[in-house]
Amino acid sequence: MNFLPNGICFYLSVAICWFSSRVDASWWYMGTLGSQVMCDNIPGLINKQRQLCRQHPKVMQAIGAGIKNWIGECQHQFRTHRWNCNTMAREHNLFGRLLHRSSREAAFVYAISSAGMVYTLTRACSQGELENCSCDPGKKGSSRDAKGAFDWGGCSDHVDHAIKFTQVFIDAKERKERDARALMNLHNNRAGRKAVKRFMNLECKCHGVSGSCNVRTCWLAMADFRQTGDYLRKKYNNAIQVVMNQYGTGFTSAYRMLKRPNKNDLVYFEDSPDYCIWDHESGSVGTGGRVCNRTSRGTDSCEVMCCGRGYDTSRVSRTTKCECKFQWCCAVHCRDCQEEVDVHTCKTQS
Amino acid sequence: MAGAIIENMSTKKLVILGVILMLFQAFSFMVGGLIAPSPTAAVSYLATKCVDNEKTHHKNPKWFTPWGPDQCSKIKDFDEAMVKKIEANNIVFAIHIPPPNTEMSTWFQFLLLILHFDIAFKIQNQIADGASITIDVRLAYRDDKLSEWTQMAHSVEQRKLSCNFTAAKTIENEGRLYDCDLLPFMELGSVAHKYYLLNVRLPVNERKKVNIGIGEINDMRLVGIHQNGGFTKVWFAMKTFLTPSVLIIMIWYWKRITQMTRPPVLLEKVIFALGISMTFINIPVEWFSVGFDWTWMLLFGDIRQGIFYAMLLSFWIIFCGEHLMDQTERNRFSVYWKQVIPIVFGSFCLFIFDMCERGVQLKNPFYSIWASDVGTELAMAFIIVAGICACLYFLFLCFMVFQVFRNISGKRSCLPAMTKARRLHYEGLIFRFKFLMLVTLACAAMTVIFFIISQVSEGHWLWGGHTVQVNSAFFTGIYGMWNLYVFALMFLYAPSHKRYGDEQSSADQAGNSGEDTQLTTTITHVDGPTEIYKMTGKEAQE
Repeated sequence: MNFLPNGICFYLSVAICWFSSRVDASWWYMGTLGSQVMCDNIPGLINKQRQLCRQHPKVMQAIGAGIKNWIGECQHQFRTHRWNCNTMAREHNLFGRLLHRSSREAAFVYAISSAGMVYTLTRACSQGELENCSCDPGKKGSSRDAKGAFDWGGCSDHVDHAIKFTQVFIDAKERKERDARALMNLHNNRAGRKAVKRFMNLECKCHGVSGSCNVRTCWLAMADFRQTGDYLRKKYNNAIQVVMNQYGTGFTSAYRMLKRPNKNDLVYFEDSPDYCIWDHESGSVGTGGRVCNRTSRGTDSCEVMCCGRGYDTSRVSRTTKCECKFQWCCAVHCRDCQEEVDVHTCKTQS
Repeated sequence: MAGAIIENMSTKKLVILGVILMLFQAFSFMVGGLIAPSPTAAVSYLATKCVDNEKTHHKNPKWFTPWGPDQCSKIKDFDEAMVKKIEANNIVFAIHIPPPNTEMSTWFQFLLLILHFDIAFKIQNQIADGASITIDVRLAYRDDKLSEWTQMAHSVEQRKLSCNFTAAKTIENEGRLYDCDLLPFMELGSVAHKYYLLNVRLPVNERKKVNIGIGEINDMRLVGIHQNGGFTKVWFAMKTFLTPSVLIIMIWYWKRITQMTRPPVLLEKVIFALGISMTFINIPVEWFSVGFDWTWMLLFGDIRQGIFYAMLLSFWIIFCGEHLMDQTERNRFSVYWKQVIPIVFGSFCLFIFDMCERGVQLKNPFYSIWASDVGTELAMAFIIVAGICACLYFLFLCFMVFQVFRNISGKRSCLPAMTKARRLHYEGLIFRFKFLMLVTLACAAMTVIFFIISQVSEGHWLWGGHTVQVNSAFFTGIYGMWNLYVFALMFLYAPSHKRYGDEQSSADQAGNSGEDTQLTTTITHVDGPTEIYKMTGKEAQE
């Protein structure tokens, strides 16, 4: 290939970054490459992941396109918190150094990213964008999978395939390394996958003679991804701090009085950093400059968000849309309204 | 009624026949449970949002394919459409049936599509009360992946939205999805082609209030339901086996009737008619659907089932009536018109309803009688009237059964005082009635129990290492059971060919004119009656 000079600089910088620091969950990075997914140029993928990437290029495109979805959900769930799931587009790692620490937030990000991949792949399968979803091609007209042939008894649900693929792809790297962090990631990834499955709704339709319930067919329908996000957020609130057991095969609660984690709980090892201050070592960017709510009593109140450092108030005049009339899909007619509001932002640390 | 085979059969033979029938019954359950897959399969489809850049509306529509070599240009969500200033009328939802690497098959028998909209909550764009969606839909097919699509159906339909928002309607909950009901979308009575394509538009017309107030639609989901090919093959094989079995017993039964010197009585005719309707439902006409695109097979199957059920219900009424031993009026169909009218009228209402639904779908597969207010009211009216007729019939049947049992207990107290010929006659009547009552109750109970199980359970059980398809077992088992019922009925209730004994002449001498009308034949046999028969007689004497 003939690289342009800026291309050469890009790949050199990628290589330098790759050698200089350990990278976690490098597949998140695929979203920043857009539709031009190049398996060999994503840093940090292990051989098995690279192999899957080459075998299923369309799956990789779908995964890359879906990253925006679960990051948006993460940012929605933490929009009023000191840590707001912010990403740094200019870093090769989406979340910077934050996830190097085995914290509660890392547990949540691993779980919701795993859930997001399942959700994305299920949607892509339902749209027909992926070819090998639940029926592998066999003889002509007789596609089959573990459940049997399509024309004999039908195939598995799309979500089952998505869960299997997600497990194989995401967990490949963690299974290669046998340390405590890998076990934590495996656990939280599985919790994320189970969270999606938890919100599959069984829906049934009666059909048959004169529409009676002579025949009734049921299927699993995927719920709104926000429900999964809400559920994982509750799991984050009740996450369990653990230590490795003496055999190195599982977890024990760090405090004897607390319960042992089950398969649906999120687990973490280290306490979270102080998100109030900017700290390069821990990856925290601090809350300086964040917008807060002066009248709130929750976590987005100025007192809590700004960590007691105070806030600045500025009067902003802005134009908003009002009296909107919507047409489905793509058109909206609004009047412009002028209003002045007070915006409160946290002071930066001194 | 003349003596039937069941009265003259020895206990040993009756038990042997029962065991054989039970074995066939168990076999028919196992065929469905172990060999066949589940009766139906459901596949989820998520519509792809295609952009129609053509500004002209030409006669031949362009077909938008969601995937494949000639796929359409797509948008991911409607924010993208807003940015590109694409209008609602240029958005086409495209669904390809079946998924990639699969083909539809004629063994699937029907294709039912159910529609579900993903509508996000927005404070300024909520779903209006009583909102309905106008859907402009085209259906096309092709038989190989390189052909052009051929249009099969086109319709503009309306569906009423019924959506709930369970969370609070605040700005924090914007983006959450409404909880919307499923909507009927399409039903094809045959699956004659390998690939189908749906192109759906939601046209917006502000002046006519078309698709205004329907909220923020994010996605359109469809679920495709079809009969599993394996189940169809097992079902066809079963029908093909059962047709000659019932046909042979029917022919044999008719020969027995015609061999007699007297004309057949009403009950014998009704049993024969029941056999005809069973054969009619058995004939595997569905084999033609594998080779021909006959969309009326579903409707034809419904009609055949309706005829059989009407005949079965009529048979039960007439069987009860003919066993009212003191009734002087009998052997004429006109005696039973009061009881038969609810059956005929109820069946007719269901037939009209089926014609309004499935009949119209022969022309327009997207039609649903539930989509309009008038249609819903008409459908409910027909169903309610049929339900009332069913209740009336049930009351009549219970009353007649009650009458027969009261008659039996009255007659039983008089049995010891009767002459031998009269006593044997009445004992035969009692035994025939009780036997059929017992078998009918068992079959009906089995049908109801399996219906309840199929509604409640998941559809398959794990038994040892095997997966047992309960729903398939239910279908093949119950179907086989009613065939065995009709078979046993025609065999056991065929007229006996045993010779009359010497008592006939003595009965003629001693009998009075009133009792003569009750005694059409007398019964004798060198082996004597069955043990059950003797016990009932002995019990009556005591």
